[in-house]
Amino acid sequence: MNKTIKLFLIITSLNYGIVGCKEGELSPNKAGLLVPKTVVEDPSLPSIKINNVLLHAEAFGNPNNPILLILHGGPGNDYRYLLNCKKFVDDGFYVVFYDQRGSGLSQRLNKETYKINDLEIELGGVIDYYRKSPNQKVFILGHSWGGMLASIFINSNLTKINGAIIAEPGGLIWQDVKDYIGRAFRINFTSEALNDIAYQDQFLTGDENQHELLDYKFSLFAAAEKDSPIGNEVNTKFWRYGSVINRALLDLGDKQQPNWTTNLSQYKTKILFVYSQNNTAYGETHAKKVSSAYPNVQLELIKDSGHNMISFDKGWQNFYPVAKTYLNTLK
Amino acid sequence: MKNTIIKILLLLLIQRITNAQNINWRAFSQDQKHLIGVNTGLDYGLSYGVNYGRKLNTKLSMVLNGEFSLPSGNKVLEDFKVKMGVQLELIHSGNFSATVKVNGIFRRFENDYARLLNFGSEFATVAGYYKPRWYIAGEISFDKAIVTHIKHLSAALDNNPDLTTGWYIPTGGNFAYGIQSGMALGQKNDLNLKIGKLLNQNFKTEPTLPFYFQIGYNRRF
Repeated sequence: MNKTIKLFLIITSLNYGIVGCKEGELSPNKAGLLVPKTVVEDPSLPSIKINNVLLHAEAFGNPNNPILLILHGGPGNDYRYLLNCKKFVDDGFYVVFYDQRGSGLSQRLNKETYKINDLEIELGGVIDYYRKSPNQKVFILGHSWGGMLASIFINSNLTKINGAIIAEPGGLIWQDVKDYIGRAFRINFTSEALNDIAYQDQFLTGDENQHELLDYKFSLFAAAEKDSPIGNEVNTKFWRYGSVINRALLDLGDKQQPNWTTNLSQYKTKILFVYSQNNTAYGETHAKKVSSAYPNVQLELIKDSGHNMISFDKGWQNFYPVAKTYLNTLK
Repeated sequence: MKNTIIKILLLLLIQRITNAQNINWRAFSQDQKHLIGVNTGLDYGLSYGVNYGRKLNTKLSMVLNGEFSLPSGNKVLEDFKVKMGVQLELIHSGNFSATVKVNGIFRRFENDYARLLNFGSEFATVAGYYKPRWYIAGEISFDKAIVTHIKHLSAALDNNPDLTTGWYIPTGGNFAYGIQSGMALGQKNDLNLKIGKLLNQNFKTEPTLPFYFQIGYNRRF
């Protein structure tokens, strides 16, 4: 063999050999190392089983009080950042939190099995699970994607919900969602935020359903939050993001171009629609456009807050009295 | 034997700590042994790089090369990449040339949540039409992130204190395919360009920025 090629092969094989012989390595696929275990891997976590999917869920307060169901954003986030809402227990509500399928600490499914309609059915299942009697009132507080999911449910179930607080949903028709996402995730090409999101792609890549690794990668995106136009005060608390369901629902939205407003004009109950002062990607114009699908809207600006207005002190202090007053008028 | 081992160790060292500038083998004159260059482009972010190459006196054309690059951003050296490797012209027939490149890679990434240190390797083949004044070629490569040390930082540990810091293996890999071209400017200078597409190793998903682009300037001496 030619000496040059021999030399080339020796260098190459030694190079690969040294790199490949690390001891004590960890597997990125092992639950609990890069991201917390879900309710499937950790039975000590509080959970409920809805439609054969194990969901991370908790409820606080008197089970016979009116239900206030809290819906997190994402898709794929978890309810940790909404735990301030436990305060509504003091106002006589039975406050229910759950991580939607594929999100937070709930069970993961393969990407091809996710359907938007299944999340709506799941929401109905959660209500049925906690509801003690047909007369028990049910209210929903949905933030961001949670506000969209609340509206999807109301659009299909006009009589089941006694009132709703909708906080900055991206949109209720797909084009509005796309427009908002485009503004919310606009990143300067020379910024550190772009590196925080994109540079990691050469370190970590996962197969389509490699949940642990993909959820971990998704969690690293959170570092770009502080440079985002959505205006949060600091980074938002979370347990674990669901990357696969996030990608799956965005892909389904692009494919199906849904319109979730078709029946909302028949929902005569007043809803409380809130938007934040510091989220420059949202604003009054978008808030009025999205909320106009409902015929009876109380539109409120939450001052000194960004998109996650319920999570941080200033936003919560301005949000809570408005939400409490609204809920008490319908309770 | 002793000399051979020393040579191999030296070459290994170089390969470990430096990559892959675009080379027009036909533009090299007999007395030119060195290549230095600068480049900028899209490489998992807006990237800037410098590179060096040393042409060896071997029967087949061979260059040891190194490259240092970092992405744009306000925290210098928080993220960077060092490639060191070797490229060998395996086939040269008329104006046709085929080259293989192998690079060792060390790279760093940091944000509020984690610091990643990765050892990886890149295997690439470039084949095309080469004239002394210009060339055009197709390129396909595989960049394997073999082992990554993940250190969870305060923002992550505040959320989840039980996360495990350590060496994770395997952590990923991306294919790249595209075209590259270049032209000689006088006897010593080259301008080159490459552009292409990135694909995750599962052939289904893509990186956040699924394209690469690089424009570079090299000087031979």
